[in-house]
Amino acid sequence: MRVTVFDYGAGNLHSLLKALSVTGVESLVETDPVAAAAGDALILPGVGAFGPAAARLAPGRERLRQALDAGLPCLGICLGLQLLADESEEGAGQGLGLIEGRSTRLDARSLPQIGWNQLEAVTDVDVRTAELETAYYANSYAVRPANPGQVTAWSRHEGDRFPAAIRQGQVLGVQFHPEKSSWPGLAMIRSFLDNCR
Amino acid sequence: MITKRLIVCLDVLGGRVVKGTRFVDLRDQGDPADLAARYEVEGADEIVFLDIGASPEARATTLDLIRDTAERLFVPLTVGGGIRSAEDVGLALRAGADKVSVNTAAIEHPDLITLSADRFGAQCVVVSIDAARTDTGWKVFASGGQRPTDLDAIAWAERAVALGAGELLVTSIDRDGSRAGYDLDLTRRIARAVSVPVIASGGAGNAAHVVAAFTEGEASAALVAGILHDGQTTVRALKEAMMASGISTRRTW
Repeated sequence: MRVTVFDYGAGNLHSLLKALSVTGVESLVETDPVAAAAGDALILPGVGAFGPAAARLAPGRERLRQALDAGLPCLGICLGLQLLADESEEGAGQGLGLIEGRSTRLDARSLPQIGWNQLEAVTDVDVRTAELETAYYANSYAVRPANPGQVTAWSRHEGDRFPAAIRQGQVLGVQFHPEKSSWPGLAMIRSFLDNCR
Repeated sequence: MITKRLIVCLDVLGGRVVKGTRFVDLRDQGDPADLAARYEVEGADEIVFLDIGASPEARATTLDLIRDTAERLFVPLTVGGGIRSAEDVGLALRAGADKVSVNTAAIEHPDLITLSADRFGAQCVVVSIDAARTDTGWKVFASGGQRPTDLDAIAWAERAVALGAGELLVTSIDRDGSRAGYDLDLTRRIARAVSVPVIASGGAGNAAHVVAAFTEGEASAALVAGILHDGQTTVRALKEAMMASGISTRRTW
């Protein structure tokens, strides 16, 4: 299978690409959002800010949305998860709107949230398969889905309980960085890809 | 709940680890990428490379090293030492670092913190503060702890965060290398003064010191080097001591 990684131009994809290669899949970095829809699976990586990334996504937004609606498997990581939702408090522009809801700032004194946070109420098949219990985060915003039933794992930062993972069919968005969450994180990526083969 | 982190620091020069570690003897200096990966397997939550070289040649080698490490390491990597500009920050991030720590250049040009945070995000900007006790508080030192400044450490910490620092790496010059324990007063004072994570550094000699960094020091993370490199203890032993004291940390065994 060939996995396409959409590059918003924000930089560092090293660890993600290496994580994909150790899971044994061929990956292609694509800066054109229309072309990004052409792989067997799409990865929306977690580097950058919402506004600029949404702007880079805009020319291919409809095409990508159609592909996701038609069943293209997609893993959204951190900002990538936020781009699956409608919009964000962080910046202007539209996400893909696949997940109904918007991103808001975490309600906490200590921001950004940087570090390893525990996952709770985990129902997601890939997170469970990987036995991923503590994951690495670097975020200030989180998606608040209109339908909390889509949330398949939660984390808590200070008093704010926020979605760690949101699932809709073949689309999985995670607020943490599996590619920075050591071997259980890699196992989660592997499980996700195995399940979309 | 966010867990407390144990961070392993490696001093690098010209692409090699310059202090001995238990994995390698002093003459046969180790490959930092290899050592970083071994510490990940042991359970380290993050790795810091401190580039102690000064020459432009050494910097280019360090970028190659970051690239090599980023391809093998799946926990966050912070790189510090010799970062002079936002361009340097960008180069290190593009090479594969997750965060970059700035020290002397931030003291000389505080707008470097804001520029870097605006361009790359506060989460990747670590301001490193080397501080020594005085009669009245703590004074900041620049240039690898060699050059005293007029800055008060607490005031500089607050300003660095206001300028956009996402984390503070606070090293006690008095304790660094002493194995007498972290300067817990310094760590706690800064942790209480700012809203970003504070990493305690300098002085770890045993597991009780690491535990105290979190309890009395109120740190979010503890940086450890010598006692791991020389085999006096292990990441797992330190984390077991943390858990035994009721400190939540990532368990890898």
